[in-house]
Amino acid sequence: MVSSIGRHIEVDALSAEAVLIERAQARDEAAFEQIMNLYADRLYNYIVRLVGNPTDAEDLLQEVFLRAYQGLPNFDGRASLSTWLYRIATNLCIDHQRKRARRVQTVSYHAAEDEDGEPSEWELPDTQTPDPLDAALSRELQQVVEQAISMLSPKLRTVLLLYDVENLSYEEIARVLKIPIGTVKSRLNHARGQIQKQVDKYLRGESI
Amino acid sequence: MKCTHYERWLWDDLEGRLSAAQRQELYAHLQVCARCQRQRDTVLTTYRTLHALPRRRAPEHVVQQVRTRLQERSQTRAIPAWWKRVALAPALGLVAAAMWWGWLSMSSNEERTGVATKPSPAEESWVEIHEQLEVADWSPTVSYFIKTGYTR
Ligand SMILES: [Zn+2]
Repeated sequence: MVSSIGRHIEVDALSAEAVLIERAQARDEAAFEQIMNLYADRLYNYIVRLVGNPTDAEDLLQEVFLRAYQGLPNFDGRASLSTWLYRIATNLCIDHQRKRARRVQTVSYHAAEDEDGEPSEWELPDTQTPDPLDAALSRELQQVVEQAISMLSPKLRTVLLLYDVENLSYEEIARVLKIPIGTVKSRLNHARGQIQKQVDKYLRGESI
Repeated sequence: MKCTHYERWLWDDLEGRLSAAQRQELYAHLQVCARCQRQRDTVLTTYRTLHALPRRRAPEHVVQQVRTRLQERSQTRAIPAWWKRVALAPALGLVAAAMWWGWLSMSSNEERTGVATKPSPAEESWVEIHEQLEVADWSPTVSYFIKTGYTR
């Protein structure tokens, strides 16, 4: 019963999105703005972690939307809109990172902090952590994981972010990256293995 | 089976991807293997941390900026048709002159070196513009004039 209601809501959301897409394809800018509002946070979250720099991420997000608007008339709806947008974002980020590759750059998540050392615009997850020690520990762990993500190769990083952070399915990732599902799985295993290694070091008190 | 294999199963188990038999096998192994027990703790911590990473909010001005840029573009596109017709002829002339000049310098290069030189990126962009012109419904936009320097 519950799942059937859930499915109805999902179908409703999908058809509402289909209507939005159709309107945006007919150059209805208000409809496109709604699409942007629907996807801005998700895409920004992904892009920031992919390029490791909030300022670049802002520019890239803008570019993703401009490209999407441009390409929307050719969007045939075979892929879902989210898959298509993640694909544009991934391609732009890869291109951007290639251009920056010559510059020596250590991507550090501390760059996402304001002058006062506080993280800017972070939204803490809904889980309540009443114990301050637990909170400190989880915050440290987050930093370990964020840093480990930033050290992954782009191939591994994209898959890990899409699966474990953005919650896309294997199939969706295969469509975003145009790679076989088997490759998605093996990259995910490799990526997780590397993150896990850093977490293990941290838990054992070794310097990372 | 090797421990590395079970390590992968630890992830699969968290996502409910193991069969009952596989789960049984994994838990039997965990009972006797201290290494995999520790790995289970690490995998669990990694999984939980990954799935609870703070989510960032896209700055609101990004959507506003895109909206502004789209409006600018649509205004650019709304050039009167008569102006497009008037402007097309000199634009075509300019491109033809540029191509003539490019051809001249290329052929003189060939004469000097005896080999055909690879076109420079600037030359390639001219070829690109030429190809754009061949599109039947092409009409110049303001950005085109700016790019080609026509308005200067
Ligand atoms: Zn073992």
